[in-house]
Amino acid sequence: MLNAKVKAETLKEVVELLHTLVDEVKMNFGKEGLGVKAVDPSHVAMIELSLTKSSFEEYKSSGMELAIELEKLKEVLKLARPGEIVKLSFDEDKNKLIVEIASFRRFIPLLDIGSISDAKVPSLTHSAKAVIDLEALRQGIRGTESVSSHLTIEIKPDVFKLEGESEQDKVEMMLYKEKGEVEIEAKEPAKSMYALDYFSNVVKAISSAQKVTLNIGKDYPLKMEFAFAGGNGTAKFLLAPRMPDSI
Amino acid sequence: MGVDIASIVETKPAALEDFSGKIVAIDGYNTLYQFLAIIRQSDGTLLMDSRGRVTSHLSGLFYRTANFLETGIKPVFVFDGEPYPQKRRTIEGRIAVKEKAMEEWKKALEEGDMERAKSKAQQTSHLTREMVSQAKQLLGYMGIPCIDAPRDGEAQASYLVRRGDAHYSGSQDFDSLLFGSPALVRNLAISGKRKLPRKNEYVDIKPEAISLQEVLQKHGLTWEQLVDIGILVGTDFNEGVRGIGAKKALKLIKEFGSIEKVIEAKKIEVPGYEETRKIFLQPDVTQDYSLKWSLPDTEKIVDMLCEEFGFSEERVRKALGFVETRKIQGMQTSLDQFF
Repeated sequence: MLNAKVKAETLKEVVELLHTLVDEVKMNFGKEGLGVKAVDPSHVAMIELSLTKSSFEEYKSSGMELAIELEKLKEVLKLARPGEIVKLSFDEDKNKLIVEIASFRRFIPLLDIGSISDAKVPSLTHSAKAVIDLEALRQGIRGTESVSSHLTIEIKPDVFKLEGESEQDKVEMMLYKEKGEVEIEAKEPAKSMYALDYFSNVVKAISSAQKVTLNIGKDYPLKMEFAFAGGNGTAKFLLAPRMPDSI
Repeated sequence: MGVDIASIVETKPAALEDFSGKIVAIDGYNTLYQFLAIIRQSDGTLLMDSRGRVTSHLSGLFYRTANFLETGIKPVFVFDGEPYPQKRRTIEGRIAVKEKAMEEWKKALEEGDMERAKSKAQQTSHLTREMVSQAKQLLGYMGIPCIDAPRDGEAQASYLVRRGDAHYSGSQDFDSLLFGSPALVRNLAISGKRKLPRKNEYVDIKPEAISLQEVLQKHGLTWEQLVDIGILVGTDFNEGVRGIGAKKALKLIKEFGSIEKVIEAKKIEVPGYEETRKIFLQPDVTQDYSLKWSLPDTEKIVDMLCEEFGFSEERVRKALGFVETRKIQGMQTSLDQFF
């Protein structure tokens, strides 16, 4: 049994975020809310999302995992007007997810659960953390994209630095703790290089967060955390680093 | 060479890119021999520099290894140490084969049969101590670790995979499976288009991955039993039993369980089987190695290959073109590396 009513933009954000990494996902409609984990085919990036019961207008589930093709869900959600409510229910006999927007209904056939492998979440310990405005990060990424396909993040106790470099060009963005542009917790300076493609797409897909928390280490995976859906949803994005001077 | 159990081993064709990000422990001698066999001119003559020194092994090693690095494969080369006394017979046998092939090569050249000349020449390949030290020097400049095995290189390579220090052992022989390597990759060093001997046809040789677990599961065997099958067929360390191939050996071990029981039931002799078994199950290996990779040193490689051995500088630099890009862009890792 599934009966979930949620604001279209909340579900849209979930779908957009997931779709940056995968085409198909397993959504876990648990008793207390929705949880999704997705890892890209080459295991470079991962997203973990959870929406508590309270981020839904109405939520009831007997607990089930449904494998869904994101493109189909995306198509229906395009029909929704701002503020409109989407209703999700599960037709067990026909194995379909029913998506309702006002008087419109779409019956989405579900995929075989076994066809999507479980994403294993690595256990990471990060040595440096910075909280910055999403807008600042967007600007930094957009600026870096024009010169390079990757960027370096450096966190020192007093400054957060983004840097992009190609053979000819260079860009950088500095945010200082002293000026209140960034909050930093760093035991020691940390620096890591990341590919821009997934990172940039995920950052573009975030629509409701004001601030994001970036956790890094020395040549270590990035963990970006942010809240969405009015603070009731939490998201975690992991990205494996590029190793400089490495084979 | 090596144990012939191909007929009972299932191989999976793969692409070079499938091994990106993987550490492969490569049997150094096995690979250099293959370069000496394959990289020859149309009459079978090896590639040589202006001073008459052989360069086929260096050419193969350089271009192939550069290709591995560009693909993201991390090779470690493992070289044979002192051979087991039991391997002497095999080594002597190989020398006799080479001498005979040398005569036949000369004869074919006199008769003007180039196809035959090349195929005979390939069997004369002889790897000298000097070639091995040149190979190690080149690998050093390419930033690739080398390990000197106490005894058999393939045993040491398998040990690396068993310890989890490498993902695959790389060799043309199946011996790694007998040495207990969980995963073997063949054809890695020779993948690509190859001309079929004495035919005007080409085949596309692809790397093949073999999982020990799958081989054992498919036939319902233990590792020890697979070793017994190898011993019946014959290995580099024992002669095997006349008239017993891999399929027959599999049938016998499946039916009776072990060599001892086969000997009892079939009244056959398997000389030296206990010693051979020990070589595979408890090989002489070392834990004393360190695995560290660095980016190739282009200038040192150019000095060695171009200045000393007359390689084309343009081609060598082109093959190392990825190094500069890698310095700026780094190498993408996978989250799996951080579990």
